[in-house]
Amino acid sequence: MRKIVTLSICMAVFLALFSANLAVAAQVTLRFSDWHLTEDVWNKSLNEGMDIFHKRHSNIKVVLEPVSYKEKETKYTVESAAGRAPDVFHVHAFSLPMFFSKGFAKDLTSFIEKEGPGFMDAWYPLPIDLMKSKGKIHAMPGDYMTMVLFYNTEMFKAAGLNPNNPPKTCDDFLDYAKKLTRDTDGDGKIDQWGFGTLGSKSPGFSMRFGPFLWSFGGDYLTPDMKHSALDSPEAKEAFTFFVELYTKHKVIPPGLTAMGAQDVRTQLAQKKVAMIMGSGWTPPIVNKINPDLKAFEVLKCAPAPTKRKQATAIWLSSWVMSPTTKHPNEAWELIKFITSKEIELKWFVDNRVTSSRKDVSGVAPEILNDKFASVMASQLPYGKVEPQIKQWPEIIDTFTTSLQEAIVGMKTPDKALAEAHERINAILAR
Amino acid sequence: MRIKDRHMWIFFVLPGVLLLILVLGFPAITSVLYSVKPEQAGDVSYTLSHYSNLLKDPFFKTIFWNTGIFVFLSVGTHMILGLAVAMVLNSALPAQPLFRLIALLPWVIPDVVAGIIWKWMFDPIYGAINDVLLKMGMIQSSIEWLSNPKLALLSVVLVNLWRGFPFVMLILLAGLQAIPKVLYEAAAIDGASNLKTFFYITIPGLRKMIVVALALDIVWEVRRFGLIQSMTQGGPGVLTEVLSTYTYKQYFQFFRFEYASAISVVLTVVLLLVSLPYIWMISQEE
Amino acid sequence: MRPSTLIAKNGLYQTVIWVFLITVCVYCLFPFVWMLSTSLKTEAEAFRIPPTWIPLQPTIDSYIGIWIRKNFGIYFFNSTVISLATAVLSTFFGALAGYGFSRFLFKGRRFLIGFFLATQMLPGVLLVGPYFKILSRVGLYDTRSGLIIAFLTICLPFSTWMMKGFIDKVPNELDQSAMVDGCSRMGVFFKIILPIVAPGMIATILFAFLLAWGDLLWALCLTSSERMITVTLGIARTVGEFRIIWPMLMAGSLVGGMPAIILYVFLQRLMVQGLTAGAVKE
Repeated sequence: MRKIVTLSICMAVFLALFSANLAVAAQVTLRFSDWHLTEDVWNKSLNEGMDIFHKRHSNIKVVLEPVSYKEKETKYTVESAAGRAPDVFHVHAFSLPMFFSKGFAKDLTSFIEKEGPGFMDAWYPLPIDLMKSKGKIHAMPGDYMTMVLFYNTEMFKAAGLNPNNPPKTCDDFLDYAKKLTRDTDGDGKIDQWGFGTLGSKSPGFSMRFGPFLWSFGGDYLTPDMKHSALDSPEAKEAFTFFVELYTKHKVIPPGLTAMGAQDVRTQLAQKKVAMIMGSGWTPPIVNKINPDLKAFEVLKCAPAPTKRKQATAIWLSSWVMSPTTKHPNEAWELIKFITSKEIELKWFVDNRVTSSRKDVSGVAPEILNDKFASVMASQLPYGKVEPQIKQWPEIIDTFTTSLQEAIVGMKTPDKALAEAHERINAILAR
Repeated sequence: MRIKDRHMWIFFVLPGVLLLILVLGFPAITSVLYSVKPEQAGDVSYTLSHYSNLLKDPFFKTIFWNTGIFVFLSVGTHMILGLAVAMVLNSALPAQPLFRLIALLPWVIPDVVAGIIWKWMFDPIYGAINDVLLKMGMIQSSIEWLSNPKLALLSVVLVNLWRGFPFVMLILLAGLQAIPKVLYEAAAIDGASNLKTFFYITIPGLRKMIVVALALDIVWEVRRFGLIQSMTQGGPGVLTEVLSTYTYKQYFQFFRFEYASAISVVLTVVLLLVSLPYIWMISQEE
Repeated sequence: MRPSTLIAKNGLYQTVIWVFLITVCVYCLFPFVWMLSTSLKTEAEAFRIPPTWIPLQPTIDSYIGIWIRKNFGIYFFNSTVISLATAVLSTFFGALAGYGFSRFLFKGRRFLIGFFLATQMLPGVLLVGPYFKILSRVGLYDTRSGLIIAFLTICLPFSTWMMKGFIDKVPNELDQSAMVDGCSRMGVFFKIILPIVAPGMIATILFAFLLAWGDLLWALCLTSSERMITVTLGIARTVGEFRIIWPMLMAGSLVGGMPAIILYVFLQRLMVQGLTAGAVKE
């Protein structure tokens, strides 16, 4: 008897909890997910954008689903595999090959064609290329930025360097970095370093190493993307140069392999380093970390240092429509809205991110007159992107492993790079 | 009674078994099936290539070894510290409940959060730990807890010890309190030394609890993921990469579902083999 | 309890024990002190190099912020409901199964005990994907119930193991004499065994509660809407792409640990009693 009572109570509890969660049907509801929703400034900006959208499309209701930056791929993968991904979601362009290979992104060709000829002309060609799977566009490009060198003009002056003359070549760069690595309070210990960068395994890592590699004339893979190109003399040079910044010249603060992007920005904000590689998001964040630094006045940026040619890494985000969405037309309206000229400009004004639209990044006075954005936009033509193949995450992970081993001194740069080369070839040979 | 008492066990055990089978059965079987599916849909419907790839994987041996060391050190330190603290808490001590609460505190912090916080504290430039040690003059320059190849794994174990010993301590404390006082008094009268008392009374009395704690802790530590992922992501290099983080990478970062499944199957089998003696011991005692 | 003669014997011994105890306390409390200190700082001060221990500009902003700006109230509600339901249900079913394993020597018993433990060995990473599919199909995705069922599978084997241990300590004679007096098996379970192991159940409930509370992976993958976020997931969220809001992370962690601490403080006597139940019988 008691057992029946207990079981009934349990069932009742279950039913109560379950029924409390039944959704109420409404007009067309779209699920929209973006990691930016977990950040104050972006959250406000996105909500404002959605208000505008709601006013123009009264039959569509957009439900916002935040996701943390680190966990977004996990979440979208699991949801997509079960056919329950959000209708529209935001991912890095470099995740796209994997999403494409599993069929998690909807082909947008028919929507684009309906918009009329020349619809895609407004965007830079490289981002469009990156949205293609088997020649067809499966995602829309979003934020498009380049990595540039940020530096603290006051620290330059204190070290006797001209803040209006940032380092242009890699050799200058090393020279400046050494001069900026000093003991500022006279206690005999170095408390300021020339350059801060990432060393941990995170997406931002390859974006900051790429410019060096490409500028030296090397590359990760051969043009046909079937073999590793890390055995070239240029690649070895670039790798060794980077490693020695830490091991030999010590212009990078200790503990490199544990450093993520956040740590590096904190170092810049707290005047522990004088230069970092960054992009549009850098000044506002640095300012938030340490308002006393007066980041917007004290920081300036310059193109990434060059060795043999000018090259830098790009950062590109993209908007994906889930192939299992029940409202593709409405989802397209949302994507079109988010990537429209008017709204892309809004994203810049609110969040300082440059756009993959030529008619915004190349032309808008707001961008051209901004001391940071103008430099970033000027580098867009030199932007290079990592190989867009589905093995890339594994390749860069292997590469970073070897780099870390060289940085902490477990192996010599040559040996570490040779191992990476072998392993990457093995991955590609599968 | 309509049903023979002999058969009543069904009513007691079955609900739990059914729940586990229903809920875990499908995913478990799916995973095993995935592990023999070819990576590219081809003509072969089943393949053991993922398992053979595992053996050829240059990282696998290191990762397996790391997992072994990590589990051994973690469980070992949990047991030693747990036992030591339990014994101290079991003695005549003022403010015992307070100390017990303090010893239990680390356990209320989820392991991911503990990883994030300790990582910050370990930072060579703005971390609290180096700051305190420097100020106290105990070290000359910051220790690179998570970057120094010699220290990385040990630092992770140190945090895992902090987070995990309270559970073992609580179980062993309960076990200690169950050992009859009479035995200790008798030993004292016989003039036995502390060491002898420990080995002949305390340890045997705790035997059952030790086995329970060991079995559970080993399984949990082999599965430990959030802590390591948030602290080092397996780096530097593969120094702190363990089977759980490796599986996660393969599944969620490289999208190699099939390979990840194979690794998990291996992991499960290893765990089963390791814990079989304990299960046997426990069920033996009836 | 150790006879106090052992300690009084040796003053050095006592000092060693005290030094050890203090060291352990520092080890345990150090991060909490840091967490508390950081939670009372402004965001800018949290990033200061070198770090400060006593906030120069103390503020309870983050404590207010987590409730107002970050919906901590919802997270708290979710975590509490889910963890409590999981803990209670898993302990109850665990007690049932534990009793079955303890009192009956049936064929396949050892296998089933092994089976329970074996289910603990399946890595969560693997189960999430297929599990998510099942939940979606039965409409339990993004619900508290779905999470409860998921967590039950983690906590049930553990609870069974613990409860079996407690029930083992209750002598079989009690069951037998009750049945001789006409009590049914179920009756013995509910009327005799459960009351005796109740303190042990409390201990198991607390442990299971913590297991469910601290999970991240399943909470992440089995929910999507803001309404369903748990405390642990919410805290992990404060680690954004660009910023880690340290004071809020710390405040959230401390507040998030409170239910477990409160539960423990109130139940500790019962808990320890439960864990040592059966001492008299030996």
